[in-house]
Amino acid sequence: MAHAPSVLDAKGKDLKAASTALKAMLAEDSAVVKNAAHLHGLCGGLKSGEITIQGDSGDYLGVVNSGASIKITGNAGKYVADNMTAGTVIVEGNADFGAAQYCYGGTVVIKGSAGDFTATMNKGATIIIGGDVGDEAATYMVAGDVVVVGNAGENLGNYLIRGNIYVGGEWASLGHNCAVVDAESGDIRMVENWLQEFGLNADAKAFRKITPLSDKPFYSH
Amino acid sequence: MSTVGAFCVTLNENQCINSRMPGKCATCVEMCPYGVYGLNEDNEVRIQNYNACVGCRICAEFCPENAIRINPAESELVSRYPWTLGTIEEIHHKALTGGYGMRGFGTMGGPTPHFDTIVVVPSQLASPAPRDKYREECNMEVVIGEETCEKPIRLRYPFIFPAMSYGALSREAKLALAIAVAKTGIMTNTGEGGVVEEEPYYANGYERPDRKRKIWEPGGYLVVQWSTGRWGVSADYVNAGDAVEVKIGQGAKPGMGGHLLGDKVTEEIAAIRGIPVGSDALSPCRYYDVVGPEDIKKQVELLRDITNYEKPILMKLGPSRPYEDVKAAALAGVDAISIDGLVGGTGCSPEVVTQGVGIPTIAVIGPAARALKDLGLHRKVKLFALGGMRNGLDAYKAMAMGADGVGFGTAAEIAMGCRGCMACHQGNCPYGITSQNPKMRERLDPEEIGQRLANFINASAEEVKILTMLSGHSDIKELSEEDLRALDVNTAAITGLKLVGYERPLPWWENGHGK
Repeated sequence: MAHAPSVLDAKGKDLKAASTALKAMLAEDSAVVKNAAHLHGLCGGLKSGEITIQGDSGDYLGVVNSGASIKITGNAGKYVADNMTAGTVIVEGNADFGAAQYCYGGTVVIKGSAGDFTATMNKGATIIIGGDVGDEAATYMVAGDVVVVGNAGENLGNYLIRGNIYVGGEWASLGHNCAVVDAESGDIRMVENWLQEFGLNADAKAFRKITPLSDKPFYSH
Repeated sequence: MSTVGAFCVTLNENQCINSRMPGKCATCVEMCPYGVYGLNEDNEVRIQNYNACVGCRICAEFCPENAIRINPAESELVSRYPWTLGTIEEIHHKALTGGYGMRGFGTMGGPTPHFDTIVVVPSQLASPAPRDKYREECNMEVVIGEETCEKPIRLRYPFIFPAMSYGALSREAKLALAIAVAKTGIMTNTGEGGVVEEEPYYANGYERPDRKRKIWEPGGYLVVQWSTGRWGVSADYVNAGDAVEVKIGQGAKPGMGGHLLGDKVTEEIAAIRGIPVGSDALSPCRYYDVVGPEDIKKQVELLRDITNYEKPILMKLGPSRPYEDVKAAALAGVDAISIDGLVGGTGCSPEVVTQGVGIPTIAVIGPAARALKDLGLHRKVKLFALGGMRNGLDAYKAMAMGADGVGFGTAAEIAMGCRGCMACHQGNCPYGITSQNPKMRERLDPEEIGQRLANFINASAEEVKILTMLSGHSDIKELSEEDLRALDVNTAAITGLKLVGYERPLPWWENGHGK
């Protein structure tokens, strides 16, 4: 029988208190957390569970997420979904600096815009930004997919090693080792599915694809 | 410091098997990492490149007939310095290739001050009487995270094996280190290359993860490293060890990150690091998810949370501004800090960085300890000194200067068999220590080499015990700068230790500068 999830009011709680309470709730049920913007590193290392953060979150929300589904109804602080290996993190608002860095797997969706150094060193996650993204997005990406529905800033995909970037809008400049290639029908279908799944309104056919120019951008000599 | 031309190679043809029977035995040709020996068209061994010898003597060790002599030719340093053959060859290499020199191992030669110009002061009448090494107890235990963690680490001896990554080291070498810590009750470190499956339970002393009884007593500890590349890091990884270490830098290449080139990213390495086969695994020089000291503090807190407030959180620093860096690390809330000196080792680094970047180990320890003292955290937040530690004597000196313990990195590799050929980065280590080549790796039996490492640790611990007790102490925590003297003005000047004969620190230290 469906019922309302347990609610944790994190007001005045430190990370240890809030996290301990949250883990106890998740053992039974899904959870809603409110007033958590002052907590950094909440939902760290979770392997399962469904959590809704009502309002804004602090920094490092969902760090090393290894399977939980986390939704933030407001804006995310710095480094949201840092080093995630599995699961989903969805930000309804905007994300601050360094969203979805060092991720190995899972899906990160930022429906608004994201700051500089988003998706840095992505190693296999699917990272979707519904709005614009700042400078240095997808720097040193080793694997995975990054989708930017809006525009990207300077140095997009700097030293791309592996993986793909799809951009619906414009970019200020591309970084080293980026090649703009024609998106194939499979790519377009994939982007279309993502857009549909996360309720993002854009024409997948308009997306351009960026891949690494060379397999080994470092030490070519 | 280039070693080109610094050694004379002599092959005694009366003893050499190949000289007597061309085509037979060319072990030296196979073993030399620098191609000093070659075969001519009649399959006769010839010394084809005298000048490339680095003096490691691996060839001599493996020569079945003891036919090889390597003699140093260092007088050249007197007659031709600074334009030695090594310097000239280095310039020629750059001029011909446009590439700079890369090598493994650590800082060697040159004017780097080290522990040798410091002596230990034994106890006589003016200080507490010596203790009897054979009949009295000496406490060497170091506890990390006693007041902050549910599962603190209790090191039987004040030693650790600092971070050396899987990838730089072979799987067998990593397992030998794990077995050694289990046998000696100390701790080893995954480095930043992910965790080898057996490493956690081997380090704790268990042969298999499901076993209840330890095969290796007393059991040791494994630290997992959280680094700038974050290779293979997941929630399971963070919880795989007994502590987590946040790596900021290392002695051999502070400010340079890590370098594992695509050619070395084999299927196994790729799987453990979580990246595609053959892709360059370059660790950034800084954290992309840390901008300023507040973020580091948050990272320490979130790591405590992910590990359920059970495990100590450590931090590793390179030798930069030891006082300020250690203060920042301590304020970030860690339980122990490892600080590397200039003399720290590496699997691969530009030579100019290994040789010429950083603060010498003996000049790092004092300021690091003072930072903790000024915060009232000395001996609470544990301080481990790394970088060129060779034996119990170096360890004692480091601890008397304020460290709680020391790390044996390069010394551990040598205990495993290494002879310092400096070719770690080439991946063909003849002893299977820094190689991913199956042929080399099969030469390293983790149990046998684990025992060698344990022997080295036990012997070094005995040395610390002897020195601690002869200087009138029964606990390593009692050691202080009063137990040491500097042998020369330079050492007294940079360490603040009392100068022998003068029996006081140099005047500027007495005036309070630097203290």
